[in-house]
Amino acid sequence: MRFDIKGNPSYGEVNVDLAPNETILIEPGAMSRMSSNMSSSFQRQGGFFSAIFRKMFGGENFFLGKYSHENGGSLTFAPSVPGAVEHYQLSNNNLNIMAGSFLACTPGVNIKAKFGGLKALFSGEGAFLLEASGNGDLFFNSFGGIIEKEINGEFIVDTGHVVAFEPSLTYKISGMGNWKSTMLSGEGLVMTFSGVGKIYLQTRTIDGIASWLTPRLI
Amino acid sequence: MNIKIDSEGAFGSAVVELEPGEKFVSEAGAMYRASSNVDIEVVSRKKEGQGFFGGIAAGLRAMMAGETYHLSSYQAGRGPGEVGLAPTHQGEVRKVEIGSETWICSGGSYLGSSAGIELDTQYQGLTKGMFSKEGLVFVKASGQGDLLVNGFGRISEVAVDNGVTIDNGHLIAFTDGLEYEIGKAGGGWISSMMSGEGLVMKFRGQGKILVQSHDPSRLGGALGPLLPPRKG
Repeated sequence: MRFDIKGNPSYGEVNVDLAPNETILIEPGAMSRMSSNMSSSFQRQGGFFSAIFRKMFGGENFFLGKYSHENGGSLTFAPSVPGAVEHYQLSNNNLNIMAGSFLACTPGVNIKAKFGGLKALFSGEGAFLLEASGNGDLFFNSFGGIIEKEINGEFIVDTGHVVAFEPSLTYKISGMGNWKSTMLSGEGLVMTFSGVGKIYLQTRTIDGIASWLTPRLI
Repeated sequence: MNIKIDSEGAFGSAVVELEPGEKFVSEAGAMYRASSNVDIEVVSRKKEGQGFFGGIAAGLRAMMAGETYHLSSYQAGRGPGEVGLAPTHQGEVRKVEIGSETWICSGGSYLGSSAGIELDTQYQGLTKGMFSKEGLVFVKASGQGDLLVNGFGRISEVAVDNGVTIDNGHLIAFTDGLEYEIGKAGGGWISSMMSGEGLVMKFRGQGKILVQSHDPSRLGGALGPLLPPRKG
């Protein structure tokens, strides 16, 4: 499979050339154009309960759109919100993705919703996150640009801005310094990551634009 | 006349440089700046030989195409002048040369055109219009000159040789002569609905299509639930 990500950070979209019988699984509704020969169907990702769980808690769909053709073909997909698209190569390792950020993967990748623990309730990302594992290509998206950062030691991220992180990183939720700076900095709670690994951050949040827009709507 | 795409990417716009006497039209409200020697006039969409009611009908048809009832016309008086045009929503602006090719813009994609271009509306038929999400009426641009279109997100050009399927909500414009039909994305209706695409536009023939990377109604679907309920 050959892919090409274009339009980042404002309008990321992915062009994919599929070889004969190669398959890609895409979030429902994300296909924007394709060669006419391409056949589309749907597939449940993982077991029945895992799919239900992912739908209820992971902010994702029960089924994924499945695209392939015996002669191959090309296809373009884009997320629902404007922003960046990022690729991650899985080779028997895991990546944690925030609920709702999944865009597409190749069939060797498994996506599961998992409970992030009580601290996840305060992360601004929902209590559940998605765990991608297996082998293959994974695409995820953000609202706004995506910043990739190698962490070695400690790193602070505002809640709501994490898109994905490698499981070698752990985080805890805390305030910014003392209670005064926590309340007045406008940041509220932050996530302090520690360990060695990669993290992907989004420069904007969809909740942020929604609350900015709300008082301006008539 | 010289048209510069002023800024690319998230917030595209265009600057049209006019020689004395040259004319450019755009949808009403698209101008955001103009030099002081440019005469700005509101014109009806009436064509030569059409009467008063012909102009009204043309305006109403344009509204069916998601365009404004009137057009704005810009003409440079003494000395050269320039007009800056920008669409309402974010996204790219693209210049298309009309001459050997005639282009058809989906509802809301037309931004402006030079005086040599004749604009006409083209009814898409009830079934196509209802299901394509692109409007009942399209705008046909023929003649000789430059056309400006706008899209939500990135604009890409796609060549149709062996047929191309476009998800509804992504079409900006296509060359005259291409045919399309509304159909299901996959093998069966169930798989089309379950794969989340539902209906798509299947293009056939030889020609080009301009598409936008993002579907505004999907952004609406993502943003809508986060906004407070609104009356009416």
